[in-house]
Amino acid sequence: MPVISQDLVQSNLAIDQAEVKRRLLAGETLLTDTPDHVLEVVGVLESYGEVLDAYSINLIYQAEEQFLNPFPIFKFLDGDLNPAKIWRHLNHDRINFEYAEYCQKAMFWHATGGMDAYLDSAEFADNCRRIIAAKRRRDPLLALLNPLFPGFLPELIRSAATTHALGQFWRVMSDLFLDLAAAEREGRVCSIPQVVDFIKDGLVAAAANPIEYSVEIDGERFWVLPPQAGLTFLVDVAVPYVEAVFLRGMPFLGTVSFNAQAQQISPDQAKFTYGALYADPLPSMGAGIPPSLLMQDMYRHLPEKLHQWYLERTRGEGDVRVKICMSFQKSMFCVTNAAINGTMPHPLTSSDTAAQAANAAYAEAWAQRLGIARTDCLAASLPGGLKS
Amino acid sequence: MLLSSLLLIPFLGCLALMVWPGSPSPGRLRQITIVILVAQLILSLVTAAQFDPAAPGLQLQEHHSWVPGIGLDYALGVDGLSLPLVLINGALTLVSAVITRDISKRPRLYFAMLLLISGAVNGAFLADNLLLFFLFYELELIPLWLLISVWGGVNRAYAATKFLIFTAVSGMLILGAFLGLALLTGTVDFSLTPVLSERLAMGGQLWLLGAILIGFGIKIPLVPLHNWLPDAHTQASTPVSVLLAGVLLKLGTYGLLRFGLQLFPEAWARLAPALAIWAAVSVLYGSLAAIAQTDMKRMVAYSSVGHMGYVLLAAAADTPVSLLGAVFQMVSHGLISALLFLLVGIVYRKTGTRDLEVLRGLLNPERGLPLTGSLMIVAVMASAGLPGMAGFISEFLVFRGSITAFPLATLLSMVGSGLTAVYFLLLVNRAFFGRLAITPPSGDAAADARLDVQLSSVAPRETIPALALAASIVFLGLVPSSLGSLSEVASTALANLTAGVG
Repeated sequence: MPVISQDLVQSNLAIDQAEVKRRLLAGETLLTDTPDHVLEVVGVLESYGEVLDAYSINLIYQAEEQFLNPFPIFKFLDGDLNPAKIWRHLNHDRINFEYAEYCQKAMFWHATGGMDAYLDSAEFADNCRRIIAAKRRRDPLLALLNPLFPGFLPELIRSAATTHALGQFWRVMSDLFLDLAAAEREGRVCSIPQVVDFIKDGLVAAAANPIEYSVEIDGERFWVLPPQAGLTFLVDVAVPYVEAVFLRGMPFLGTVSFNAQAQQISPDQAKFTYGALYADPLPSMGAGIPPSLLMQDMYRHLPEKLHQWYLERTRGEGDVRVKICMSFQKSMFCVTNAAINGTMPHPLTSSDTAAQAANAAYAEAWAQRLGIARTDCLAASLPGGLKS
Repeated sequence: MLLSSLLLIPFLGCLALMVWPGSPSPGRLRQITIVILVAQLILSLVTAAQFDPAAPGLQLQEHHSWVPGIGLDYALGVDGLSLPLVLINGALTLVSAVITRDISKRPRLYFAMLLLISGAVNGAFLADNLLLFFLFYELELIPLWLLISVWGGVNRAYAATKFLIFTAVSGMLILGAFLGLALLTGTVDFSLTPVLSERLAMGGQLWLLGAILIGFGIKIPLVPLHNWLPDAHTQASTPVSVLLAGVLLKLGTYGLLRFGLQLFPEAWARLAPALAIWAAVSVLYGSLAAIAQTDMKRMVAYSSVGHMGYVLLAAAADTPVSLLGAVFQMVSHGLISALLFLLVGIVYRKTGTRDLEVLRGLLNPERGLPLTGSLMIVAVMASAGLPGMAGFISEFLVFRGSITAFPLATLLSMVGSGLTAVYFLLLVNRAFFGRLAITPPSGDAAADARLDVQLSSVAPRETIPALALAASIVFLGLVPSSLGSLSEVASTALANLTAGVG
């Protein structure tokens, strides 16, 4: 057998837990700072920003206009029932809003963060009762369903609340990523540390933004997530989102055979490691992993500069979604990096021993979780390693 | 003159390539070869159009006395047994030329040898004289030896020499049988007629048939005469493997039917039970050996050994249905094995290996070889005899035609058919399913899952020959009458020589 050419297989060294912790405490970025990484991260976040804009608009539309609609057939059309748009939708010339729903379901199921506590509160139950009473007046199906299954409609309202909250979160993130791309074009951002700082500043600026949600029924407005609940952007949505989508995720068919009965999937949801930071960008067999829907969407909005960069590598257009996924993971490590930096208990420059110990414990906790993620994408690509 | 032109076109093409003025590029030589082979294929189709399937015996005959003193006549003819093989020779030599790329070493000689083989094989299939057959049979030997020894793999010298020795012995035995026939009957008539052998005592017939069986058994090859084949395939380049498996092995099975069964029907009937057992042993050995292989090409080569055993089983049973099955098996195996070798060649070119302990996940839609993998699944399904494809028709006819004559041997061969599914599913499962990798498993699943594989994609033009072969396999499976109508009369006539063993 001839020796297999080294050009065909590249194996980047994964960064271990100790190195993750060291970089976090030293104020270094998790992603190695190289010009290629800047191009990849900023470019892919720009396309992600465009996609999040569409996701955000649709999630908010669904939560407000398709509220408790038992047959939301046109939920992805944002209220525009133009035949040409319906045809494009059926022809799959559209954004995959299913991915947004996947993320919403991940958040809803993992149920982490402060918003989830509010969704189980007595105050929220009162809101639901008022909303259902108003809604069932004109909706015989709901009037029939609610007495039969009293838990069903409140659960749908909880789901709608998560949907709206995620829509609000992505509104902010979309603008932030598009601003980042503009900043890079203007020369204000030209390195990975600057990218991470830009995202961190954006998150910190929006941290206290209120998360509110109301619906209109028969001309009357009802609060689902009222201002009095005190829900905010960072703690109640951003952190649960990172936990549910970046870290935990959900096991899906097509990548690995999971046998739940043999406990190959942990019965403890908190130990799930199927999120975006752990996913293999290379799909196995013909099954598309859920992120591949996102890759299709980002491909539609890929900046030309990044597109050309991809075309010069390996199979050009042929494996572009894998390349986008790899770049996306790098960018998500930057976002996670920004979130960790922004939520570090004390400034890294603090000379106080207790503060340093708290920071070290915090960094250690993150390092344990990220140490088994796809940290192989963090190193600089080997020179020419990706060239065809 | 039609049949002569099937010889003249490739031979004159070979000559033209050798004396072509200047230094034409390999690409230009390939184009010229393809044009010549297209002309040959068209003429083969014209021959098929002029062939009357309802008429028994040889048709479109040409006869010229050549060296009357030794009984060598230039006599050609075609019947339902040889016509499908002439067609498949035309098609597969063309495929071999089309898939030949990057021939930098002596391209002129390479393409000339390809044409020479094609012409010699046509001559062997069309020869209506024993000595003429032998001339063509030997004529393809040297070009094939050159194709392996000059353009083969690392151990090409060993494989080519082994091939040469085995096939030379095969030729000597066949020539010995032909001369023995003349010697024992006291004539110098080498025309293809069973009348001669009827003058012989059974002992003489058995000796001559024995030589024929071993001679062609080497070429087919049958166990234990198969030793040369896996090495020849492993070291041969992909186009040569396609030609070897698709066409050249059929010289052996064709010879067995034409010069074994047809020349010595009485002795054949006597030996038939032993031949059936030999066939079953060959099928089972080939299949079990294929299971043990880790080199994709060797696995396909051993599968050829097994599948050629079906032809011997069908010939041993010697019923109209089984003999029709034998013709089907020759054609379908030609197409299927050509497709398998072609696909293995693509895998090898893209990954640099054929090792089943190294290759994984090649069906990956983004970074792997998805179309090649899909076609491989089609090919292994056809080889395993799934309905709707050529392999099913041939195996069904062989088994249906043989089960009453030799139930045990047929049942054992059917087990071999099941084993085909075993080794080819192993191949598909190991090389094409799972996460893409072209390195041995490291034992660390997390590290394996981090491999970034950079295979280049397969250009559509590289897949066109494979698609054409796959389409013809499905066509033959869905419309078996297209081939059956050509060969039914000939196979029935052949079976009537012994009135069927069973």
